[in-house]
Amino acid sequence: MTQPALSAQLLALADDELILGHRDSEWTGHAPILEEDIAFANIAQDEIGHASLWYGLLRDLDGHDPDRLVFFREPAEYRNVQMVELPRGDWAFSMLRQYLFDAAEAQRLPLLAADGYRPLAETAAKILTEEIYHLRHTQAWIERLAQGTQESHRRVQAALDLLWPYALQLFQPLPGEAKLAPRQIVPEAGVVRQAWLQAVVPFLSGVGLAVPEPAEPAAASREAHTPHLADLLADMQSVARLEGPEVRW
Amino acid sequence: MDSQWPRYEVFEQERPDQPHRNTGSVHAPDAELALQNARDVFVRRPECCSLWVVPESQIYSWTAESLQADPGWEAETIMLMLAPAPFEIFKKQSQRQSETYVTHVGQVSARTPVEALRQALAQFGTGEAYVWWVVPGRAILRSQPGDAQSFFGPARDKPYRSPNFYRVFTQMREAASSDPAGGGPQGGAA
Repeated sequence: MTQPALSAQLLALADDELILGHRDSEWTGHAPILEEDIAFANIAQDEIGHASLWYGLLRDLDGHDPDRLVFFREPAEYRNVQMVELPRGDWAFSMLRQYLFDAAEAQRLPLLAADGYRPLAETAAKILTEEIYHLRHTQAWIERLAQGTQESHRRVQAALDLLWPYALQLFQPLPGEAKLAPRQIVPEAGVVRQAWLQAVVPFLSGVGLAVPEPAEPAAASREAHTPHLADLLADMQSVARLEGPEVRW
Repeated sequence: MDSQWPRYEVFEQERPDQPHRNTGSVHAPDAELALQNARDVFVRRPECCSLWVVPESQIYSWTAESLQADPGWEAETIMLMLAPAPFEIFKKQSQRQSETYVTHVGQVSARTPVEALRQALAQFGTGEAYVWWVVPGRAILRSQPGDAQSFFGPARDKPYRSPNFYRVFTQMREAASSDPAGGGPQGGAA
């Protein structure tokens, strides 16, 4: 029975995109310059759009209503990695988080696009075009922050030291994944992790950042969350959860 | 001290059979980020197949009036030793409100901007010209054909909606007028 395993994959993909998109959107109106405010708001909207595509596939597969999933689940029911729920931090932190995520997507999506479950493959191919642009944008920023001033270098290095074990959680196998990989429905987590390391380590070293030593992922399971997720959801879900006679839609 | 990033003028081409035309400007620390900012600011929704960005400092500009007064021909002698290089020529051809773009009209080979202007007047001088822009070809960063899919592709299958699509204002007004307490948006209906 592969359907629960496939649902787990889709939910993880969707939750990562949703929560990251929400954190990115917190920069809207606060980015360091107007043009970048627009650029990062675009990225935030793209990520939430990708989440919507993944939730749609999940609905087709097992009937879950995306709006119920997004606005009426408790923090413990979310299956995103902890990296995306961390507060937005400074600009270097948000840019580096987005870069590490984009670089993982750039490795994972082509493998999903080539794999055996057609709706998933088609969606992955569609999302990939946008992620290629995100990666170009965040790479440009990481390069400039790392090689800009002492202050910008210090900040992006501090972000890298903090985010590294969190990023590694992106490659933890999901429940039931062993059933899907041999049938080429999803790529093996270890393969994606290796491809990601081969892409990000030379890039980060090349712009003068010290890449942290291999570490244990920040959390073993996507069922574990930091308190930051509850704060984020309390805000994001507050309107949908309004009740009472004065609420009209 | 001026902490503002340099300004880049943005030229957008909607279809391969149309010229690039000036669509606005962005600020950016360098040309690559200017190109990306141009994409994000100007072409996330509408149709586009190519983008150029040029630092504002590299645009040599003449208006119809300044051409009549003194185009600066004598300054030409200073740089005449340079080898000829390509210059792109842009022209504003209409004052009508919907067509005030500075539009690409062609390329010349010249040793100085003023020499390029002289050639432009000879080659492209027919018809109205309110503004001439002369830009050294090497000062332009152009999106590459390989960029097109990730730069311009995502916009194609997304609906572009004007703010009034969501009818927020109308709905707020309706909500306010049907509120028994008679309040407006501040009146407690939230």
